[in-house]
Amino acid sequence: MKAELEAIQAEALEALKAVKTPDALESLRITYFGRRGKLTDVMKGMGTLSKAERPAIGKLANEVRTTLTQAFEKATEALHHQQQAQQLEAESVDITLPGRKPAYGKAHPVMQTLERIEAIFSQMGFQVATGPEVEMEYYNFDALNTPADHPARDLHDTFYLEARGWKQHPQEEGEDARSERLLRTHTSPVQIRVMENQKPPVRIIVPGKAYRVDYDVSHTPMFHQVEGLLVDTHATFSELKGVLASFVRQMFGEQTQMRFRPHFFPFTEPSAEIDISCTVCQGKGCRSCGHTGWIEILGAGSVDPEVFHAVNYNPAEVTGFAFGMGVERIANLQFRIPDIRTFYENDLRFLRQF
Amino acid sequence: MNVTVNWLKTYIDFALSPSELADRLTMLGIEVESIKHLGAELAGVVVGKVTTIKPHPNADKLVLCQVDVGEAAALQIVCGAPNVTAGMLAPVATIGTELPNGITIKRAKLRGQESQGMLCSEKELGLAAQLASASGLMELPPTMSIGMPLAQALGLDDVVLELEITPNRPDCLSLIGVAREIRAETGNALKLPQVNLQEDETDIREMTAVTIDAPELCPRYAARVIRGVKVGKSPAWLQQRLESVGVGVINNIVDVTNFVLMEYGQPLHAFDYHKLADVKHGLANGALRRIVVRRAAEGEQLKTLDEVEHKLTSDMLVIADAEKPVALAGIMGGYDSEITAATCDVLLESAYFQPSSIRATAKALGMNTEASYRFERGADPGTVLPALDRGAQLIAELAGGTLCAGSVDVYPGQQPLVQLQLRPERVNFVLGTALEATEMDAILNRLGFHVKATDGEYQVTVPTFRSDVTREIDLIEEIARVYGYDNIPTTLPRGDIPVPAPEPRTEVRKRIKHFLLASGMMEAVNYSFCHPNCFEKIRLNKNNPLREALQLRNPLSPEMSILRTTLLPSLLENAQHNRNHQIDDIALFEMSTVFLVGGTSRPDSPVKEPERVAGILAGEIGGGVYGNPYRCPDFFDIKGVVEGILEVCGMTDYTIQQTAEPTFHPGRNAEVLLADRRLGIFGEAHPRVLENYALPYKAYLFEFDVEALVGTAEFSKRFEPIPIYPNVQRDLAIVVDADVLSDIPMALIYATGGTLVESVRLFDVYLGDQVPAGKKSLAYTITYHSATETLTDKAVNALHDRVVKRLNCELGAELRM
Repeated sequence: MKAELEAIQAEALEALKAVKTPDALESLRITYFGRRGKLTDVMKGMGTLSKAERPAIGKLANEVRTTLTQAFEKATEALHHQQQAQQLEAESVDITLPGRKPAYGKAHPVMQTLERIEAIFSQMGFQVATGPEVEMEYYNFDALNTPADHPARDLHDTFYLEARGWKQHPQEEGEDARSERLLRTHTSPVQIRVMENQKPPVRIIVPGKAYRVDYDVSHTPMFHQVEGLLVDTHATFSELKGVLASFVRQMFGEQTQMRFRPHFFPFTEPSAEIDISCTVCQGKGCRSCGHTGWIEILGAGSVDPEVFHAVNYNPAEVTGFAFGMGVERIANLQFRIPDIRTFYENDLRFLRQF
Repeated sequence: MNVTVNWLKTYIDFALSPSELADRLTMLGIEVESIKHLGAELAGVVVGKVTTIKPHPNADKLVLCQVDVGEAAALQIVCGAPNVTAGMLAPVATIGTELPNGITIKRAKLRGQESQGMLCSEKELGLAAQLASASGLMELPPTMSIGMPLAQALGLDDVVLELEITPNRPDCLSLIGVAREIRAETGNALKLPQVNLQEDETDIREMTAVTIDAPELCPRYAARVIRGVKVGKSPAWLQQRLESVGVGVINNIVDVTNFVLMEYGQPLHAFDYHKLADVKHGLANGALRRIVVRRAAEGEQLKTLDEVEHKLTSDMLVIADAEKPVALAGIMGGYDSEITAATCDVLLESAYFQPSSIRATAKALGMNTEASYRFERGADPGTVLPALDRGAQLIAELAGGTLCAGSVDVYPGQQPLVQLQLRPERVNFVLGTALEATEMDAILNRLGFHVKATDGEYQVTVPTFRSDVTREIDLIEEIARVYGYDNIPTTLPRGDIPVPAPEPRTEVRKRIKHFLLASGMMEAVNYSFCHPNCFEKIRLNKNNPLREALQLRNPLSPEMSILRTTLLPSLLENAQHNRNHQIDDIALFEMSTVFLVGGTSRPDSPVKEPERVAGILAGEIGGGVYGNPYRCPDFFDIKGVVEGILEVCGMTDYTIQQTAEPTFHPGRNAEVLLADRRLGIFGEAHPRVLENYALPYKAYLFEFDVEALVGTAEFSKRFEPIPIYPNVQRDLAIVVDADVLSDIPMALIYATGGTLVESVRLFDVYLGDQVPAGKKSLAYTITYHSATETLTDKAVNALHDRVVKRLNCELGAELRM
């Protein structure tokens, strides 16, 4: 019986080596472990053994069974791995086939720039304020110290609206009733509206649309501006320089040079235009900067006392500064679009570039 | 305005290169827009003297010239000009010169004879017409130095600076004004023109009287008379000066007035004395002419120098003689009294007019002249006489004639000089500087202000040419500008940062925008303008209030003549533009204000400017690649976008129902309602709308009222426990009448299951052979769940049975096996 067991073990281990398929493995398992299996039969015959033989043979039988069981398990696993490997090989793909990319949209380039500008100023504590685009002459001009005969009020600069019952509103009695309605030519009127409704300190930016009668490669009749205003008991021209220097560094990079140039705006005094070193030639001089090395990006200045008078602030008690910039112009320093009207064609080949 | 460096140097010395000067002026607030070297095109061209002429051995029409160009060896130059003569001076283009017409001069052989340069005509040198002589070589004056660069010899070695003068600085619209700025920068002294008048015996008062009838519009009027002039060409120096700054030359009289205009910034006008009406009845002082400065009579006519007949109003100021207007004050002279070749006596006007009146008149008549440009910004009443005298002197010098003794100067509007107080500590307070008072004093002095110090305060007298300086802050700007903005420290604001108020609008806009971008739509930005026909193109009802749009009085074009009341036409135009360029995967949105009339959104404006967000899906969606093919969008794509917007705004209580906007397919459109308020609309564009925008495929649109979303959006969130008991899913397929809307059974399932129904998902809709005609099959997955226990099969079965019964009972729904 001992010999028989040893023979079964040897035979079974040998047979396992030849097994190639799960089916063959299963039939081999039945051959040995099935109800009529060879090992089962031997185990069944244990009863016929003498008492003396039984412990030794029994022990051997158990050992054979354990060995074979383990061998079968190992063979099963090997076969499984082998099959998995075959499957994986069969499943390989051409990884150069196109990916199934989820559709995603992109913000308009002008809006991307506007959002960057907003983010920089909001870090410096400037809050976003808004106001109407259809404005009264009073807010767009008069309150900003731009009297009726100022050149900026020429018809060819400003879009005026056809008169249409402007007097219907109860608050429009008197002076305002005769006031024209126009499309704001800058976002500056919001300065006035905010100061009329808020005590100092004021620290706002006004992003928004503005309109001028202009249509060529560098002008669109609608454009975007960001206006800024800071009013406090002690706001100085040097602080204006500090705020704008910080903005310029963050917006255009640490290496960008900035210069303040005296200029004129009716609603600031002193007034300045701010140039940055040309982003194309880094200040060496090229066509983009008219060979000056500088590009104008901002208008700014200390708030003119007349503006404070218009909003009932006392210029002896508060000072302030304001600045304004054209978003398209700043966007285009980066994008370099030869005709900025392209911004508003909404050609998808264009929008997808940004 | 243009100035030249050489001309400026006649008024002030400075040792700055043109680019240094440009830089300094720019940093003073006079932006130099361009720098042009006048003689640059003549580089390489020198003055040469033709010493001998020999016939050309091989050509009848050519000659061999020996030309002295100031060097050791004369040049041999082959020439064919008919006027070449021995001894003449002519321009020589030396070897290597590139002429303005593009020809480069090379050493060459002409018919076998060497030519070492080229003798040139005016035309070949591209020189201005006033220097052109008949034909052939340009003949140069024998006084010119041989070998001198031609540009220098002709006075063209000058540099023109193009200046942008801001509207507050009319004083800088002149050479002397710019020279004053250079004085402020350099501290060098000003060299004003020296005027020596040679007057004759006749008192001007015997020649003319001046009466100002409208002193509020004309504070000062002065005149001189020059008799016996000879009108003709101006001398070359005067022509060059004017042409170098872009002023055309006319005759010596008019050229002088223009020269003085450029020099002093004071417009002068010259009348032909004899074309002014005689004073018929004689004046007390015996004057023969009378100038009357008065308002025009209503409807009075005047033909100006440009030969345009104007009809005037009583707001307009004219210069009249004893009978009629002879000039439009401060803008343009009259045609009938202009200087002609026959003029022998001249009445020269120098005046100061009230700026806003000149501006209003020029604007009303559509005129813009050098004179009106200066007067409307503010000339200098203090320059009236110096400029008049300078003009009179130059006319007498250049056109001959004699000056009557004295000038008439009527000055009813004389004002005391402006005195301002300056507090040095205020200067430093406003600028954030630490300047010494003496430094401020020095700066103001260099600018022409007079400063008197008393007890730490400064009394500043403003010169008449600085009408823009009326307040202390204006003086502060002057100090800052000359001190240099770049020298002012750079500091950060010290004030407290105001605490921002919560802004729900910003949050709503941000969420919607992020969602739309994440769902694959590109952001569009369109003009706020549109064409009035757009409402017809999107088929708005006749009574739709959106048809009432604001109109521009001065639109750029009909396409841009009204303000948008809806964003949909712009997006449809964008779709059309893209389709026309073979781009067919169109997914665009825009967020913008529209302009509505009637009612008020802001208390002080009769225009509502609510914000809208709108979008369009058209053509194809998907990647258009293997594995992710294009497909046509349909109604449920746009509905999904709409539902997403509502979800990101935290909205749950809305309803979506069919509506009847003619913009849309009648069976494929809907509105979103919250209570009774319409938040938005969406649907498939009506086929006729598609035709109107030439779109060959369907388009799906939505438009939302952002204002309504801002008011109702809900962003506050609180944690809800994650379910701890397992849920049970059951599928349910029912057959109902084909016209039953899919959300009706869904609502019944929720209503029946109450809190035990976690969700109901419609996963199939079927109409066809497998169900009877007029019926459809709807298949739902119901998820049952209890927050307090594990649901048993028995409990779920009972509940599910109740659902089935309820559907059967209320909708006649049969279970589909």
